[in-house]
Formats: sequence, structure tokens, C-alpha cells
Amino acid sequence: MESTVASPPIALSGRKILVVDDDRLNLRIIGGILRGEGYVLAEGNSGERALEIYAEFKPDLVLLDVMMPGIDGFETCRRLKKTYGGKCAPVIFITAKNESDDVVEGLGAGGVDYLPKPFKAKEVLARIRSHLQNQALVEQLSEANAEKNKFLGMCAHDLRNPLASIRGLTEFLRDGSVGPLSPEQNDLIETIHSASQSMLVLVNELLDVAAIEAGELKLHLEAEDLATLIGKSVALMNMEAATKKTGVKFAPAGAVPKLVLDAAKIRQVIDNLLSNAIKYSPPGSTITVTLSADVAHGTCAFAVQDQGPGIPEGERNRLFKDFSRLSAKPTGGEKSTGLGLAICRKIVEAHRGTITAENLPAGGCEFRVVLPISA
Amino acid sequence: MNFTGSILLVDDEPHIRKYVGLILRQLGAPKILEAANGEEAIATYERKRPDLVLLDINMPIMDGMETLKRLKALDPSCVVVMLTSIANRLNVEAALALGAVNYIRKDTPKDEITKALTEAIDSSFEKQ
Repeated sequence: MESTVASPPIALSGRKILVVDDDRLNLRIIGGILRGEGYVLAEGNSGERALEIYAEFKPDLVLLDVMMPGIDGFETCRRLKKTYGGKCAPVIFITAKNESDDVVEGLGAGGVDYLPKPFKAKEVLARIRSHLQNQALVEQLSEANAEKNKFLGMCAHDLRNPLASIRGLTEFLRDGSVGPLSPEQNDLIETIHSASQSMLVLVNELLDVAAIEAGELKLHLEAEDLATLIGKSVALMNMEAATKKTGVKFAPAGAVPKLVLDAAKIRQVIDNLLSNAIKYSPPGSTITVTLSADVAHGTCAFAVQDQGPGIPEGERNRLFKDFSRLSAKPTGGEKSTGLGLAICRKIVEAHRGTITAENLPAGGCEFRVVLPISA
Repeated sequence: MNFTGSILLVDDEPHIRKYVGLILRQLGAPKILEAANGEEAIATYERKRPDLVLLDINMPIMDGMETLKRLKALDPSCVVVMLTSIANRLNVEAALALGAVNYIRKDTPKDEITKALTEAIDSSFEKQ
């Protein structure tokens, strides 16, 4: 059975287009063509003027001449992209300057398309329609994504309480406070307990992702001692590591100044990296945490090094994306949601830092977090 | 613990009433009353005057915030501890401003809930 989801036709009439050309005749011709299709226009005769008009007019698309007195079309486009970033309307160059080097430069400057002069009205309209439609689809997609996150957050939130109850009630059964259990019954209760526990972890991570994606990641910043934070995490994680006969060693290189950060969130990053390292480490191996300051560059870095299998070649670019479990398997049958590192990246980036992963020449891999010293 | 008072446990989810009720019994609370929404809670409070109210925030018919306001109007000295889950910080702050003495996170491990409930019972002792 074939099924297709038809999206509603996107109305383009009434969309706003900024047309920029230093030649008045060109402006008049293009203007006539576009108005005839129901577009709303603003016109500018120079790059400088285009930047001013853009700010007020907020067009859905820009049709931009290249060769103009003052700043040329390419430079105008670069400045628009720099100012408005990902929210900038698509820019189509329309110019007689159409050697392939020019086309490459124009698209490199951030343009989405390149129309040669003399132009054909039909082609101009077709290209504009196509880019406006793409733009509208991107908007629809990002709205749908926001809806999805809201739904995810609500879902995860409503799953938490029942799961916490299941976990807690099995603890009552397990500790015998409501009567003795047979070994088989105990075994079943253990299974229910650990299943509800891992579901709670997953649900918590889903909630984190939903909150972060919805722009609700709020940092509570205070001056904190990173070495103390790491020390606490290492002490706790060593207990988990001991059950797998591995150990975590903290080796700070000299003193590190206090950093302005959200202690709970950064602790979440450290815990996650350590828990990953433990998950993927063979028994008997050692996990090392380093900490150092690079005062000259105004940064501070901590890294978690393990002696595990490393990151599979070709999978590194997926590492920090949502739901990206790689092919490496935990050594003790632990579960992974594929969300932990994505959350780490978002937390670190909210602190204006970076997180990277490298395989070490001697085997194993290193996850490194670099944070700015001054907030 | 020689707590002889009564506790009113208000939550629309039966599993929470079961779970929190079990913890309270383990702590030696002799008398636990239950209500599934704010209206039931107010009616029970008027009849039984419990020493401590554990009050959920999100409930149908009458939610925890409205219930808290009415309980405080009915009896300004009533001791109310909110039952909440994650991401309810604004609600919790509003509830404390309305006179709730504390809040308990239902989604934390059993040990933590037990500790928080012990403190809640202590706070109702202070009233007695």
C-alpha cells in the first residue's frame, strides 16, 4: 500500500522580497514582474541601503545585484549573514557577472542561488518560488520540532512518577519489610527494580533533551572550584568502577583558578563522561581524569581518558548527536540511551566551551572539555 | 517515632498514595487518611482536622495550589507539605509563599523521600 502525506500548499502571495539593484530600469522591470505575482516589495539601489531596508522590512527573500557602487552584492550578502545568521532570508544574486568563479564566490558568500542577467521573467519567478517554498518548509519543520520537544517533555514528565513508584515499591518488597520472599521472587523483584531504574534514567535524559531543545537550559552561575567538583565525582564513580574491577584516577596538573559555572550541570557532564568510560572499559583498566589551566589562552580543560576500544573510525561525527548509540558495546551489559553525550555537548556549549573526543595513540580514547576562565 | 497524630495524604495517583502511604506506615504513622483531589481533601480536613497534610500539586477537579489556599483560609495553622516532581520549581515557590512549610520530590529515591517525610512529621510536631 502506498501512502503519501500531502502537505498543504504554501501560499506565497504576500511574501516580502527586497530587490537591490543600482540600475533604476532593472528595478522597475523586476518590480513589475514580482508585483504581478502578488509579492510585496521593497527596493534599494545600493548595498548599504539594502542593509538598512532589510532591518526594517524583514524580507522573506532578497534579490541582490552584485556590481554596485559602494559595497558590492557579495559583501552585502556576507554582512547580512553575519548580522542575522541562520535567521537570514535566502539571498539570490541576479547579475551579469556570471563566470563560474563569480557563481562560486556568490554562493560562498552565503547566497542560495545565482541568476544571470539578462534574465527571463519565468526563470526568476520559478527560482523565487522554489526558495520561498524551501524557506517555508524549514519554518514548518522547526515548528514541528518544537512541538515534538514539548510532547517529549510532557511524556517524559508523566512517566516519571509511576516509574519512581514502581522502583520504590519494589524496594519495599526487596528489603522484606512487607514479608519474606523466596529467592525466585527476589530475583524477579530485582529485575523489575533494575528495569524501572534504567527507564527512569532514560526518561530523565529525555526530559533534559526536551528542556534544552526548548531553550530552557538555564545556568545558575557561581565561582566554583573545578578540582573539587571532579574530586567528588571521581570518589562516587570509583564505587561503580570497583564493581567492574576498574579504577578512576584523578591527576590534576597544578592549580586551576576558580571558574564561573553551573556546578550541578558541569557535574552532570563529568559524571556522564566517567560513567561512559567505566561502561566501555575492560576489567582491570584505569580511567584517568586530567585537569589543567592554559592561562595564556584563558581556558581551562579537563579530560577523561580510558583504555577501552576507542571510538570506531567514521563514527566520531555522530558522537555528540541526539540518540546516537555507536557500535561499541558496554563491557558489563549496561544500557545506554544515546542521549548522554548530546546533553553534555549542550551543557558545555551553554558555558561557551567545547567538548571533543579523540582516540589515543596507545589505545582507548579521551573526551576533553575546554571551558573559558573568564565568564 | 511516637507520632500519634493523623496525616492526610492527597494525590490523584493511586500508586503514589500506596507508595507514600507505605513509607509513612513504616515510619510508624498510626493514622493515614487519603484524598484523590482538592475537594475531597478539604472535606476530609474539615471533618478530621489532621495534623499534617501532604498535598500533590497537579490534580483534577481542584489542584494543589487552590486547595492550599482554601486550607489556609479554613485553618491558618494547618501544616501542609507539597508533593511535587521535577520541573515544578515555580509552583513550589508559589506554594511556599502561600504558607506550605516544605515540599517533597516524589521522583527521588525511597531513602530521600523517607528522610523528607520524617522532617515533615517533625514539622507537624512543632505545631502540637
